[in-house]
Amino acid sequence: MAYCKSFVKLLFVAAVAVCLALGVTPGQSMAQEKVIKIGTIFPLTGPVATAGQRCKAAVETAAEIINNKHPNVKVPLAAQAGLLGGYKIVLVHTDSQGKPDVGKAEAERLINQEGVWGLIGAYNSAVSMPASLVAERAKKIFMCGASSSAALTQRDLKFFFRTASTDEVESHEFVEVLKWLNKTQKKANLKTLGIIYENSVFGKHAAEEAKKAAAKGGFNVVADVPFNPGATNLDSEVQTLKSKNPDALFGAVLGADYSLMVKTMKKMNWIPKACLNYCSGYQDPVIAKQLGDDASYFMGSTGYSPQFADIMPAVAEVEKIFKTKTGGVPYDSDSIQETIALLVLAQAIEKSKSLDPEVVAKTLYANTWPSPLSLSGKVAFSPGGQNKLALSIITQLQGGEYKRVFPREKANTKVVFPMKPWDKR
Amino acid sequence: MDTLLQVLLNGILNGMLYALVALGLCLIWGVMDVINFAHGEYVMVAMYVSYWLGFLANVDPLISTLAGGALIFILGALTYKLIIHYTVGKPPLSALLATFGLAMLLKNLCLNRFTPNFRILSDTWLGDRTFQLGGLIVPLPQLVTAVLALLVIGLVFYMIRSTRFGWAVQATAMDREAAELMGINTERIYILIFGIGGATVGIAGGIMPTSLAVHPEVGTMFGLIAFICVAMGGFGSIPGTLMAAILVGVVEALSGYYIAPVFKYVAVFGLYLAVVFLRPKGIFGW
Repeated sequence: MAYCKSFVKLLFVAAVAVCLALGVTPGQSMAQEKVIKIGTIFPLTGPVATAGQRCKAAVETAAEIINNKHPNVKVPLAAQAGLLGGYKIVLVHTDSQGKPDVGKAEAERLINQEGVWGLIGAYNSAVSMPASLVAERAKKIFMCGASSSAALTQRDLKFFFRTASTDEVESHEFVEVLKWLNKTQKKANLKTLGIIYENSVFGKHAAEEAKKAAAKGGFNVVADVPFNPGATNLDSEVQTLKSKNPDALFGAVLGADYSLMVKTMKKMNWIPKACLNYCSGYQDPVIAKQLGDDASYFMGSTGYSPQFADIMPAVAEVEKIFKTKTGGVPYDSDSIQETIALLVLAQAIEKSKSLDPEVVAKTLYANTWPSPLSLSGKVAFSPGGQNKLALSIITQLQGGEYKRVFPREKANTKVVFPMKPWDKR
Repeated sequence: MDTLLQVLLNGILNGMLYALVALGLCLIWGVMDVINFAHGEYVMVAMYVSYWLGFLANVDPLISTLAGGALIFILGALTYKLIIHYTVGKPPLSALLATFGLAMLLKNLCLNRFTPNFRILSDTWLGDRTFQLGGLIVPLPQLVTAVLALLVIGLVFYMIRSTRFGWAVQATAMDREAAELMGINTERIYILIFGIGGATVGIAGGIMPTSLAVHPEVGTMFGLIAFICVAMGGFGSIPGTLMAAILVGVVEALSGYYIAPVFKYVAVFGLYLAVVFLRPKGIFGW
C-alpha cells in the first residue's frame, strides 16, 4: 500500500515537472484555441444504436471537413480550414439511449455544464422533441438531421432547424405512388391500406400522417397495427395484417424490428401487393444486405443511397471520410442528413460573421444554402425550421440495390409490381 | 377456426422458447435464492457465439447451439466463482446488483467489440422453412426449438429428480449447512448449478440466430420474460416454469391478435401481476 502511494506521488511530481518544463499550465491550450463546441445527442446504445453510431460518424465527418482543408471535396467550406478565421468545431458526444428523458437531461448537461454553443441530433423524434425545447429556452441553435416527425417543425421554435423530409411529406408521396401504380400497372386495383408502426412518437405520428394522406387519396385503412419496439416476435402483428389482407402496406419500423417483420411475413407466407417504408430499417444498407433476396421488392423513401452516385456526384469524396469512421459502411438516408445539418450550420456561422445564436438563426432563415449532399442540392428553411427544399425519391430494393422507381423523371428502373410471393422467389 | 389454431400454435412455440430461456434462471433461483440479472445477456452472448461460428466457420446454429451451451456453462460457473461467491451470506440485494453490473459489462463489451449492428445469419439448415399441417403453417425453426426445449427441460428435470447429483442439489437448496454436514460439497453444487443454468440458456441463445437478428440489446426482453415465467411458475419449480412460459406465449399471441398487437405485453405483465397478487409464490411454488 505504502509502495503504491509513493508511486502515485512520484507520477504526480513527474507530471508537474514535465508541464513546467514545457511551459504548460492547465486550461492554457483551451483558452488560446478558438473553438465552437457543438453537443451531439444520438442513441449510441439501445435498440437503434446502429443508426445513432452512424449519425455520430456523419457529424464527425462534417466537422473534419469544416476544420481542415479538403481540396478534393466539393462541398462548401471544404477548401478552407476552420470558420471565422480560425475557429474549429469541437464535438461533445452524448448518448440518449433512444430515451426522451435521457436525451433531455443530456441536452441540459451539454448546455449548462459543457457550455456548448449549439446542439445537433437526436435521430429519435421522441428525443428531439424535449431536447430541442431545452435548447430553445437557452437560446441555443438545435440542428436536426434525421428526425422525421412533422410535429417537430410545427411548434414555431426560433432556434430549431431540420434538414430532412418529414413523415407528412413522405405519406403524401406514398399515396401518390399508390395512385401512380393504379394508373400504370395492369389490374393493380389498390384500394385498401395497412399500417404497421412502432409505438413511439415517430411511429405514431407517421401513422397519423399516413391515415390523413390515405383519406385524402381515397384509400381505406383496414389494418392499423402498432407494436412495441424490441419485441421478441411480431407474430400477432403480421397475423393481424394477414387476416385483414390490405392491398398495400406502409411501415414505420426501425432497426432489428424491420428484419423481424420481413422474416415473419415470410414465415406467415403473406405479402401485400406493395409495401412502402418511412425512414426505417428499409434504408439500412446492412440490414438490406443481410436479408438478401427477402428484402427485395419492398419500397421506401430514400434521400440517399450509394446507387444515387450518378445524380449526387459530390457525395463520393465525403463518403470516403465517412467510411473511415464506420468500418466501410456507406451513408444511408438518415446519416447523411446529419452531415448536411452541420455543414449548413457552419455556412451560416461563416456568413453571419458572428457567434451570436440569434444572428446565426436569422441568417439560417434568410438564405438558401448550397448543399451538394442533398437531393435538391439546396437547403432553405421555412418558419418553424423545416427545410422546404427537402426531397426524397421512392426506391425499390431489387437484387440488393436501391433502384429509383418514382417519380418517373428521377427513375432508373421499372418498378416490380406486385411484390413477388415468397414461394416464387 | 384455422386462425385461432394458428395463433395458439404460434403462442405455444414461442412459449417453449421462453421456457428454455427461463429454465436456467429457475434453477439458479431454486437452489441459491439468487436472481441473475445478467440472464438476458447470457442469451445475447450465446447468440453472438452462434452467429460468429456460422459467419466465420460456416457452422450451423443447430450445431453451434452446443458451443453456446458449453461457453455459457463456463461463463455461468465463472459468474459464480468471481462474483456471486462473494455475495453469499450478504443481503439478497448485493447479488442482484452484482449481476446487474455483469449485465451492463457484457452488453457494453459486445457493443464495443461487435458494434450495435444487427447481424442476421442466412442460409441456415432450418432457414425460414415452413410446412403446412392442415390449414396451419408450422415454422420449422420454431418447431425444432420447441422440441429442443422439451428435451433439455426433460433432461434437467430428470437430473434433478432422479440422480445422486440432483438429490445433492435438492438437499443444498433445502438447507446448505445440513447438506454440508451430510458430506455434500455445496460450493461445487453452486458452481455446477450456475454452470448448468448458463448452459441451458446458452443452448436457447445458440439456436435463436436461425430466426432472429443478433445485436447487443436482443437479450433484454428475453431476460424480462424469463423472470416473469419463473416468478409465475413458482421460483425453483421446473414444471411450473414450463407451464408459465407456455401460458405467457399463448396469452401474448391471443391478446396480440384478438385485442391489439400493442396490447400483448400489457396482457402478459397484467397476468403476471394477477398471479403474484393472488398467489405470491407462483402457480407451482411452495
